[in-house]
Amino acid sequence: MFVLPPPPRYPLTSPYITPYLNGAGGVTETNNILSQPTGPEHQLLVGEGTYTLKDELLLATPPPHPSEAPIQNPNPLATTPAPPTAGVKLSLTVIAPRKHTTRLYRANTSGSVRSRLAHTYSIDENSNEAASTGNSARSAGINQSLDYAQSQSILDVTPAFGEGNPSLIPVNGKDPLKRRKPKNNIVKSNSSFVSRVIPNDTITKRLQEHDPEGLFAFANINRAFQWLDLSSSQKAEQLTKILFTKAHALCHDINILTKSSTHLDVVLGFSSADIIWYEPMSQKYARINKNGIINPSPVSDIRWIPGSENLFLAAHMDGCLVVYDKEKEDAAFLQDENELQLGKDLGSTFSNSLRVKKSVNSKNQKTNPVALWKLSNQRINSMSFSPDCRHLAVVSEDGSLRVIDYLKEQLIDLYTSYYGGFICVCWSPDGRYIVTGGQDDLVSIWSLTERRVVARCQGHNSWVSSVAFDAWRCDDRNYRFGSVGEDSRILLWDFSEGMLHRPKAASVRQRESISSSQPLPTAGRNRSESQVTNRMRSLSNASWDEDSEEVISHSVEPRSRVAMLPPVLSKSIDSHPLSWIGFEEDCIITSCRDGHIRTWERPREGVNGGQNATSSFDGQ
Amino acid sequence: MSSFFGRFKSSAGGTSPNIGSSPMKRDPNAPQLTPLEKLLVDAGPVRSDGSDKFFGMENFGNTCYCNSILQCLYFSVPFREQVMNYPQISPNRTPDASSEILPQFDTNGTSPINIPNAPTSLARGAPSVGPPSVSSPTTVSFRKPMSAPAGPGGQQPLRPEDVKDSPEYKKKQAMLTGPILAMEHANAATYGMTESLFTSLKDIFEAVRAHSSRIGVVSPQRFLEVLRNQNEMFRSSMHQDAHEFLNLLLNEVVSDVEANAKRVQEETERKAVEAGSPVPDMLESFMTPTISHGLPNPTRWVHELFEGTLTSETKCLTCENVSQRDEPFLDLSVDLEQHSSVTSCLRKFSEEEMLCERNKFHCDNCGGLQEAEKRMKIKRLPRILALHLKRFKYTEDLQRLQKLFHRVVYPFHLRLFNTTDDAEDPDRLYELYAVVVHIGGGPYHGHYISIVKTQDRGWLLFDDEMVEPVDKSYVQNFFGDKPGQACAYVLFYQETTLEAVQREQELEGLAQAQATTQAALTEQLLAGRSNGDLPNGLQHALTTGGAPDPEHEDFARLHHATTAPTESPHAGVIEPKAHPGVDGTPLSPGGLSAALGSSLSPTSQVSASFPPRVGPGVTTAAPVQSKKERAREEKERKAAEKEREKQEKQRIKEEALRRKENEKRQQEDIKAAIAASKLSHKAEEDQRVSRDNAAPAGENKENGAAPAPAPSNLGGMSGSLDRLRHGSRSFRSRSKFWGSGGGSGSGVSSLVRDRDDAKQPVIHEGMPMETDTAPPVTSPLPPSSVGEPPVSVTDFAGSAVPAPAAAAAAAAATAAATDRPTQRAEARTSTTTQPPPLSQPSTPEKPERHRSHRFSLRKRTSNILQ
Repeated sequence: MFVLPPPPRYPLTSPYITPYLNGAGGVTETNNILSQPTGPEHQLLVGEGTYTLKDELLLATPPPHPSEAPIQNPNPLATTPAPPTAGVKLSLTVIAPRKHTTRLYRANTSGSVRSRLAHTYSIDENSNEAASTGNSARSAGINQSLDYAQSQSILDVTPAFGEGNPSLIPVNGKDPLKRRKPKNNIVKSNSSFVSRVIPNDTITKRLQEHDPEGLFAFANINRAFQWLDLSSSQKAEQLTKILFTKAHALCHDINILTKSSTHLDVVLGFSSADIIWYEPMSQKYARINKNGIINPSPVSDIRWIPGSENLFLAAHMDGCLVVYDKEKEDAAFLQDENELQLGKDLGSTFSNSLRVKKSVNSKNQKTNPVALWKLSNQRINSMSFSPDCRHLAVVSEDGSLRVIDYLKEQLIDLYTSYYGGFICVCWSPDGRYIVTGGQDDLVSIWSLTERRVVARCQGHNSWVSSVAFDAWRCDDRNYRFGSVGEDSRILLWDFSEGMLHRPKAASVRQRESISSSQPLPTAGRNRSESQVTNRMRSLSNASWDEDSEEVISHSVEPRSRVAMLPPVLSKSIDSHPLSWIGFEEDCIITSCRDGHIRTWERPREGVNGGQNATSSFDGQ
Repeated sequence: MSSFFGRFKSSAGGTSPNIGSSPMKRDPNAPQLTPLEKLLVDAGPVRSDGSDKFFGMENFGNTCYCNSILQCLYFSVPFREQVMNYPQISPNRTPDASSEILPQFDTNGTSPINIPNAPTSLARGAPSVGPPSVSSPTTVSFRKPMSAPAGPGGQQPLRPEDVKDSPEYKKKQAMLTGPILAMEHANAATYGMTESLFTSLKDIFEAVRAHSSRIGVVSPQRFLEVLRNQNEMFRSSMHQDAHEFLNLLLNEVVSDVEANAKRVQEETERKAVEAGSPVPDMLESFMTPTISHGLPNPTRWVHELFEGTLTSETKCLTCENVSQRDEPFLDLSVDLEQHSSVTSCLRKFSEEEMLCERNKFHCDNCGGLQEAEKRMKIKRLPRILALHLKRFKYTEDLQRLQKLFHRVVYPFHLRLFNTTDDAEDPDRLYELYAVVVHIGGGPYHGHYISIVKTQDRGWLLFDDEMVEPVDKSYVQNFFGDKPGQACAYVLFYQETTLEAVQREQELEGLAQAQATTQAALTEQLLAGRSNGDLPNGLQHALTTGGAPDPEHEDFARLHHATTAPTESPHAGVIEPKAHPGVDGTPLSPGGLSAALGSSLSPTSQVSASFPPRVGPGVTTAAPVQSKKERAREEKERKAAEKEREKQEKQRIKEEALRRKENEKRQQEDIKAAIAASKLSHKAEEDQRVSRDNAAPAGENKENGAAPAPAPSNLGGMSGSLDRLRHGSRSFRSRSKFWGSGGGSGSGVSSLVRDRDDAKQPVIHEGMPMETDTAPPVTSPLPPSSVGEPPVSVTDFAGSAVPAPAAAAAAAAATAAATDRPTQRAEARTSTTTQPPPLSQPSTPEKPERHRSHRFSLRKRTSNILQ
C-alpha cells in the first residue's frame, strides 16, 4: 500500500476530527461520487426560467490521519480550543480567455458612467484616471471570471499595488509564458506538513484532453485539497488530491493573471497559519509563513492582488492583513519594533483604525511580508477586491465592514452589521455596491456612492455563509445576486436602484425614542440621508485626525429606516449547511459543508426567461 | 487567604492520589494550578460587588439544573446587584446585626482551613439543619457518576474521577481544594424576611460575595431544601428541567419579594395603629428604609429585568376585527427547526398562524367561534432576554419526549425582528452573556452546565464544582451538531449598546487573537507551559507577575484598568490576593517573619513587607505600572497597552531570571512554606477573628450606599405593580400549562401561543400531560399552593368587565380545585377586544396567606433531603 507518513508535529490532544463525518469518514480513503438526481425538487424556479440540477459531486471526506488517536468518547466539554475548519469552497478558472458574449455583463457603456461615479467618491482621484476608466467596469464581478485581458485593461488605468516602490519590481517580468514554478515537488515531498499526494494516473492525458474553455476547480474538504476538472466527463475523478497531515486548507485562490495551459498559481491558506503556493501542472509547491513565522494565526481568506504576478493578500484571524510575495523568503516579522517606529498615534488599537505595521512602500523588501496591516483584534472572515482593482472590502467577526483603499493603504469606510459578525462579502460587477452576509441572517447591500446600507435582505433562516453576484444577469439598472446559508438554502435576489430608494412604509412614522441606551445616529439622522455618518473621533482618541484622510465610521441604521427586500427564490437544496456559491456563464455552482458540489444549469435559451433577458438588453 | 490555604492543602493532601495516576508528569508533587487559578494569578484586591468570585456549586445528585441556572443568574450583573440590595438595609444598621450573618458565611467558608487534611465533611460539620450524610466525603465521589455526561468506555479500570483531567477528577479536586461554603444556615431573619427561595438565593450570593477567596465551591443545601419543600416536582432526585427551574425561581423571587413588601407594610400599618406595640428590633431596623423608599418600586426589579410584553394580535377572518391583548413574559420558549438560527426561531415565533377547527377564536364582534389569524409580537423588550430552545419535543409515535439535536446557531449579539410597530426601542441590541447547555440523549437524564461571561475574566465554564476559563469560541460549540450530545438549551441575552460592545471587542480581541494563535501553536505553548509551570508551580501561585499565559494576564489587566480605578496603588501593583502577606509567606523564609508580623495589621503594612521578598523584578515593574495607571486615567488606553506589552516582555524576561533563582531555593522554600503555613495559620486565625469584627462595618457601608441609586432606577420604569404581579404569575402557570388549553373550548391563547404544542405538546419533564384530555392536569401540586388559584380567579372575575370573559373566568374557577387555572382564566379574558384591565386593586393579604401556607408546610417536610 502506501508508506505511513511521518508523525504529525502537532499534539494529539485536540479533538480535531471534523464532527460531521457522518460516520462515513471511516478509516479508508474513499472516492468522490457523482450522481445526477432529477425531479422537481432539484429545480430552481425563478422568473427567467428553471435552473435544473445538472449533477451532484460528493467530495470524499478524508479519514483522519493515521497518527491521530481515534476519539471514541468525545468529551463535549473539552475546553481545548479546536482549530478552525471551513466548509467546502471552490476556486474556479477557465484557461482560455473568456469570450465576450452578449450576455456577459451587458452594460458596458452605461457601466462606465457609473464606474466614474463610483470613483468620484474615492478621495483623491486623478482626473485623467477617472476619464479613462471606460472599460474598467467590464470586469465581471467575481474574481474568478476576471480574465487576463480584462484585468489587463483595468491595470492599464489603475496603478499597480506598490507601484512607486522600486524595491518591489519583480525580477523576471519578461515572458508571461515562462512562469516561475515553486521549488519543491509536492509528490516527492518529505515534509511532515503534507501527508499524501494522490495524483490521477492519467493526469497528462486528461490535461491534454481538457477543453481550454472548461472549468478547473480547486476545492478544500477537511484536510484534503482536490483539483477537479468540472468540464470532464470523469469529473468525479480528481486530477490531484493532496492530503495534509493536520492542517485544513481554509481558503484558496487562483491567480488569473498568470494562468495558462501549462501553469496555474494557486495559494492556499491553512488553519495552522501556513500558506502554500502550489502549481498543480508541475506538482510543485512552496511553503510560506512556515509555522507562522510572520503571523501565527490561521488564514481565513486569501486573494491574489489583482494584476500582480507575485503578490497575494492573506487575511489572518488575529485581524491582520498581510501581503506576501510568493517568491520571497520569510523573515520573522518583529511587530514591536515597527510599532515603536510608527509612534504613538498609529499605535491605536481602535477597531476602526488600519494600522500599517509595514507599508508596501517600505524600502526593506528583501523578505516577506511585503506589507502588514492590522485592522483590529477580531477575526477577519472574508475579503474581496473591487472590480476596479482599487478597493478592498473586508468583513470581520465583530460585525464590521471595512472599505480600504489598498493602493494607498488607507481605510475609507467602516460600517457595522445590524448585529453579529459578518461572514462573507462581494462587490457588484460595476463596483457600486457591496453585498455582505452575516450572523444576523441578513444579506445587506451597501452603496458606495451613498455610503450607507441601502437594503437588508431577509429570507435566510440562519447565518449567510456566501454571497456572489450573477454578472450575467446584471445590467446597468438591475442586479442579481445569490446567497447560501447555514440553513442549507439557496436564495436569489434581484434589486434595482429604484427599489433601494423606496422608503419603507414603516419608516415614515417618526419614532419618539430609540432609548438612551441606544446611541444610534440621532445626530446623523438629522443630516441628509446619504451622510449618516459619525466622525470617528467622536469616540475619543485625540490623535486620530492627524491622518490626512477622514475615516468615516458609520453607525447602525435602525430597522425602520432601511428597505427590506424579499428574495426571488428560496429553496432548501441540501441537508447540510451550504458554504459557497458561485455563478458561471452556464450554471450556478453551490457547495456544502460536507462536500456536495452541485451544478445548476441555467434556463435554456429560447425558454421565456432567456427572451426576457434578451429583450431587456435590446431595450438599451 | 483561604484560597492560598486551599491551594496549599491540595498540594499536600490532594496530590497524593495523583502519584499513581499521573505517570507522565515530571514532578508529580508540584502543585499544578488549575486553569482558573492561573487566570486569577495576577488579580488585584477582591472586589466588594462579588463580580470576581468564581465559585463552583456542589451537585447533590442531579441538581445540576439548579447549579447551572444559579450561575447564570449570579453573573447577571443587575440581577446580582438587586438580590444583594434587597431588602434595602438601612445605613444606620448596627454592626451587630450584620455580624450575625457574615461570620456565619466566613466560618463555613474558612473551616476547611482549620483542618487542612481532614475530609471535607468535617469542614462542613457546622450545626446543620439538613442531615449530615449529605456532606460526607464519600458522597462527593459517589454522586458524580449520576451527573456525569457520558460514562467512560467501560474498559477503564479506573473510576472516572481518577482519570486526570477528566471533569470528575477536576470536580473532586475542587471539592478537596475548597473552600467550601456550606449553605446550611438561613439568614432570612437578618434580611428581615421570612425564609423563602429568595432568601436562600440571597444567602448564596451574599456568602460568595463575602468570602475572601475568589474560588471555591458553594454547597446550596439550604436552597435545595427550600426549593424541594415548596415544589413537589423538584422533590425527587431525578433529572429536572433547567428552564422549568429558571421560570419557577424567577416567579418565586417575585412572589417572595412582594410578599415581604406587603408583610412589611402590614407590620407598619399595624404598628401605626397600635402605636407602641412591641415589634421585633430587627424587623424595625429593616422596615424603615423599605417604607421610606415607597413600596411598589423595590419589589419590581425582577420584572424590570426579565419581563417583556407580548402582544397577540388576532384578526377575525369573518368580521376582520382585530383584537389585541398584551401579556407579560419572563422568558421566551421558541420552537426549533433543523439548520436554523435563534433569529429565525424568534421570527417563526411571531409568524402568523391560523386559528381554525378546534382552535377557533371566540370573536366578540361576531359573537361566536370564528376562524382567525393570530400573531404574537414583542411590545416591550426585556432587559434580559432568556431564550428557551425547546429541545424536548413530544413525539406521537414514541409517546414520549425526545430531544431534538437540531443545529441551531446563536450569535453573540442579537436584535429582535418580531417587535410591534409601536415598540419602544425596537432595535435594542442584546449580547449573549450566558448559555445553559444540556448534555445527554434525552429529557429524562443528562447533565446541565453553564457557560457564563464574566465582567473581566472572559468566559467561564461552570460544571457543578468545576470552574474553568474557556475561549470565547467555545461558547459556540453547542449549536447541537457536535458529537457528545451537548446542546444549548437556555440562552441569556442582556441589553447592551454598540459602544460597549465595540469597547469590549477591542479588549477581548487582544486575548482572543492570541488564543486563536494558541490553537495554531499549541505545541509551542505547551512546551512553554510545562517549562513555566511544572518546576515551580508554587511560586506561580504566589507571585504577581509570573503568569504563564500572557494572553490571560493581558486580558485581565486591561479590564482591570478600566473597571477598578479605586484600588490603592500598591494593592494594584503587587498584591495578588486580598491578603498577600499570608499568601506570600512561603515564597521566601525572609518574608515569613514580616508577614507574620503584619498579618494582624492593615493591608498597607502587608504590602510594605513585599519588596524585599519579591526581588528586583517586581520592584522595577511597580513604577511602570503606576505610570500606566496615570495613563489610564487620561484614557490613553492605546499607549498603556503598548507599554504593557513591552512591559510584559520585560517582566517575562525578569520572571525567567527570577524563576531560575527561585528554583534553587525551591526546596528550602517548600520546607519553609510548610512551616510558615503552620505558623501563619495561627496568625491568620487571629487575624480573621479581628477582621470578622471589622468586616461587617465595611459590608454595611456598601450595603447602605448601594441601595440609594436603585430606587431611582426602578422608579423610572413604567407600569404598575399590580399588572405585572398578575402577569408574571400567569406566565408561570403558562409555562407549566404550555399547550394544555386545547381541551377547553374557548381557551384560545394558551393554545395559540405555541401551535406545535397544540398538536404535539412539548412537555416539560416531570410534568407529563396530554393536550386533549379535558382538565389540563399537571403533576399534583403541593397543597400549599392550592390557595393560589382562586386568588387569581377572583382577581379576574372582579376585573373582567365583558360578560364572556367573566363567564369564562367563573368556569375556570370550577376547575380551580384540581389545577391552577390562572392561565386559562387569562386566556379567556383574551376574548375581549380590550386587554383586561390590568390595574386591579392589589390584594395584599392573599399572597401573604399563601406564603404562610408554604411556611407551615415546609416544617413538615423539612427532612426531604436524604
